Amino acid sequence: MPETDYRDVRLGDFLEGLTGGAPGPGGASAAAMTAAFAASLVTMVARKSADSWAEAAGAAAQARGLEARVIPLATTTAAAWEAALEALGGAQDGAPTERNAQLEEKLAHSAEIPLAIAEAAADIARLAAVVAELGEGTYRSDAAAAAVLAAAAARASAHFVAINLGTRPDDEWLQRAVASSDAAADAASRALDAGP
Amino acid sequence: MQLTDAELVHRCREGDVEAWNALVERFSRYVYAICVQGFRLREQDAEDVFQDVFTRVYERLDSLRNDAAVRPWIAQLTRRLCLDKLASGSREEPVEELAPSDDGAIADIEEAFAVREALAELPEACQEVLDRFFAKDESYRTIGAALDLPAGTIASRISRCLRKLREQLEGRNEP
Repeated sequence: MPETDYRDVRLGDFLEGLTGGAPGPGGASAAAMTAAFAASLVTMVARKSADSWAEAAGAAAQARGLEARVIPLATTTAAAWEAALEALGGAQDGAPTERNAQLEEKLAHSAEIPLAIAEAAADIARLAAVVAELGEGTYRSDAAAAAVLAAAAARASAHFVAINLGTRPDDEWLQRAVASSDAAADAASRALDAGP
Repeated sequence: MQLTDAELVHRCREGDVEAWNALVERFSRYVYAICVQGFRLREQDAEDVFQDVFTRVYERLDSLRNDAAVRPWIAQLTRRLCLDKLASGSREEPVEELAPSDDGAIADIEEAFAVREALAELPEACQEVLDRFFAKDESYRTIGAALDLPAGTIASRISRCLRKLREQLEGRNEP
């Protein structure tokens, strides 16, 4: 089945897809798209700040780059989760140790993508905080909103990493996901404190 | 310190062999990109055009009025030779089926090469941080860890470097 590019999907269709459950977008895809919304808002505020902030264009370029990075993850995370579900469904096949190893591998792969979403979302939150502090005053509240949305996306994605790596609580990926979530939360606080 | 285009052309005119080599090196990828990406020439045709372009540059460099404008001059020469190549190899095909000179694609190629050259003139620290973020898609955390910098400072650092890059590009475009 061809993978869906969520950039080309109508928002209403995406939301409808969320209501259907697997196969289709789920929580991690929604987190990726939320991060993309946040990145778009950061782009908007940075562009509106071009007259008052010399480095606004650079911030806008980064936000566009992060948006381009995170949207494909909405697709790949759905595909990876479907593969993990299939592995769960076929868990009766083969020897028990082999089954467990295969299942763990599928689940680990399905955790790799939420980790990428968490890290991208953390970067979007960090960038949003910079834009909230240095951008045009009229639009700073939009940058703060972007930081909060990105922090939520990072937190949700870190949760998926934790769930998918449930048997490996000391995993480096989980630590990175939690660190990203924490960094995003700090950035959101900074952005909210930046004021109008 | 890299020679400017005008300085390079000046040395070529004086018969400096190393300057000629440097000129070919500087513009070879550019010419090839126009042939392959702009006009979608086959590999053999692109190589033929490539040879023709630099032969003509060698023969006609004295006719170039503005040494600093060597890049657009080479681009124009390449475009003309690409069209000649397409026409000569496609006599049996209707004209409209010839691979078009995609002005948008060629403009993109020219912009990409301009950015690449401007990037090469930035401080190494800037080149590295921009390459890591935009070409390698590294996160601020990864970049910070590699460069021993706090992740929270990377976004501002990238913005500053992009500003320098823009100034570099604007400087190149001034008459």
